[in-house]
Amino acid sequence: MALERKDADASTTVSVVTVGPARSRDALRQALAMGCDDASLVLAEEPLSDLAVARALAKVALETKPDLVLCGKQASDDDQGFVGPALAEVLGWPHVSMLTRLVPAEGGVELWREVEGGHEVWKASFPVLGTAHKSEKEPRYPSLPGIMKAKKKEIPERPVGSLGADLGGPRLEIVALETPPARGGGKILKDGDMKAVAEQLATLLRDEAKVL
Amino acid sequence: MAVTAADVGFDLTLTDEQELAQRTAREFATEKVLPHATEIDAKAAIPKALLAEMASLGFMGIAVPERWGGAGLDTVSAVLVMEEINRACASTGVVMSVNNSLVCQPLLRHGSDTQKERWLRPLASGKLLGCFALSEPASGSDAAAMRTSAKRDGQGWLLSGTKNFITNGASADVVIVFAQTDPPKGHRGIAAFVVDKKTKGLTVGKVEHKLGIRGSDTAQLIFDGVRVGDEGLLGEASAGFRIALDTLDGGRIGIAAQAVGIGRACLEDALAYAKEREAFGKKIAEFQAIQEMLANMATEVDAARLLTWRAAALKDRGEDHVMAAAQAKLFASDVAVRAARDCVQIFGGYGYLTEFPAERHYRDAKITEIYEGTSEIMKLVIAEELLKE
Repeated sequence: MALERKDADASTTVSVVTVGPARSRDALRQALAMGCDDASLVLAEEPLSDLAVARALAKVALETKPDLVLCGKQASDDDQGFVGPALAEVLGWPHVSMLTRLVPAEGGVELWREVEGGHEVWKASFPVLGTAHKSEKEPRYPSLPGIMKAKKKEIPERPVGSLGADLGGPRLEIVALETPPARGGGKILKDGDMKAVAEQLATLLRDEAKVL
Repeated sequence: MAVTAADVGFDLTLTDEQELAQRTAREFATEKVLPHATEIDAKAAIPKALLAEMASLGFMGIAVPERWGGAGLDTVSAVLVMEEINRACASTGVVMSVNNSLVCQPLLRHGSDTQKERWLRPLASGKLLGCFALSEPASGSDAAAMRTSAKRDGQGWLLSGTKNFITNGASADVVIVFAQTDPPKGHRGIAAFVVDKKTKGLTVGKVEHKLGIRGSDTAQLIFDGVRVGDEGLLGEASAGFRIALDTLDGGRIGIAAQAVGIGRACLEDALAYAKEREAFGKKIAEFQAIQEMLANMATEVDAARLLTWRAAALKDRGEDHVMAAAQAKLFASDVAVRAARDCVQIFGGYGYLTEFPAERHYRDAKITEIYEGTSEIMKLVIAEELLKE
């Protein structure tokens, strides 16, 4: 979504930043290869609380002063959808979630989000934060020349502790994670005529399933 | 103390860039090429938009430096990308392979800066498509016996003759063509030219109907007094045969990668089918007869891949890769054909139907034993290298 803006207006700068372990570099490198201008890593080898991540990112945003911050709508592990809105809160910026489209507007940007049966269009002045649902376009592939351009770019790295963000605060702990119980097999009643089958069914619904 | 790659001295780890190139190619091949492979084969045509998207991703000039319009990666990256594309569709794979190995590479190695500016840049970036015209109706493996002639005519040359079996021949914009300038000199009289396909006197003859790789076009090119200026001469007038052999040494690494891709397609498709299909109350993958075929396929495809990577790495290091390339192509093509045969066998009756991919792999695999030097020629090349003092 950010790169589409850059396609439309070449003066746009797209910076990517992530808070995470050293292996997050691969994702940043891929973002550079897709066409982002610069990337930086805030190194946190140990998992942080969502709020700490938001506070760390807020420090970065205050330094780089972007017009628009785009976050993913949710992490693929805990599905909390927390960091984006929390970052907006820490910054005191407005935020709109589940974006599908960005349109430049006088003094700011139009933010489109999907709602039941259509689109909702918000307008915001800068700075603003959005969480991206999915673009109307498929994410582009990193091109081979893009991969070589990305190779030439440094990805600066600094430890999360150096940002001066409060990394304390409440932490959630996952107490248990279970797969749902396997569904028992269904029963097919075929002995007897229709009346007999109906009687068996009523008995089973009352005595076994206990829904009658 | 931890053992590092430097201590081991033999490291098969890919660089970050090679891995990213492989991942891009794998995702693209799975999402954009594989869903069209059956149709490409049936209609004997590759959608123009697909080739355009491949060009925009840098797939048409992978190992060409950025200054000449290429992606600026190395031969190892090129074989990684080629394996992925060929795993999805060998027709699409060969169109790409010819442009990369047989057209861009000779221009890069032997072209003047003016020729690189005019031809390599648009070819490497995929704005133009190229073909390589060496074989003739009466000379394939024995390329030096070619009859196409280039006669001096004022400031340039007049080319006459017929070229056969030219991959991309119908669709290409640019032709690298070889012609005899001085028949008594034999192979030392052969010159290479780069020719705009729209040049007067150059026409596309018969477009062949083929067993496999049906989506790529294979055509006859007829040169009837085609005038080419000296600016079209690639290298010295006597260097054509050397250029052809050089180019084919590199091209063979690409065909080896194609064979690895086809072999992997056979393995993956057969494995998936064997885990689904039931006979005598169990999955056919549980039968040892099937397991033996799968185990052989997996081992041989891996071995073929390693030979291919070695040849590519030698080429990247500027080392002699003639024998390594020939060994990779000889072995990988043999592996692909055998894997395809077993793939059809595992699919059983369904393997014989066009609704399933097995028969396409079976038809596609065979060409890898023939083009860019037959298996028999590969053995001659390897033996020559073995016997040379």
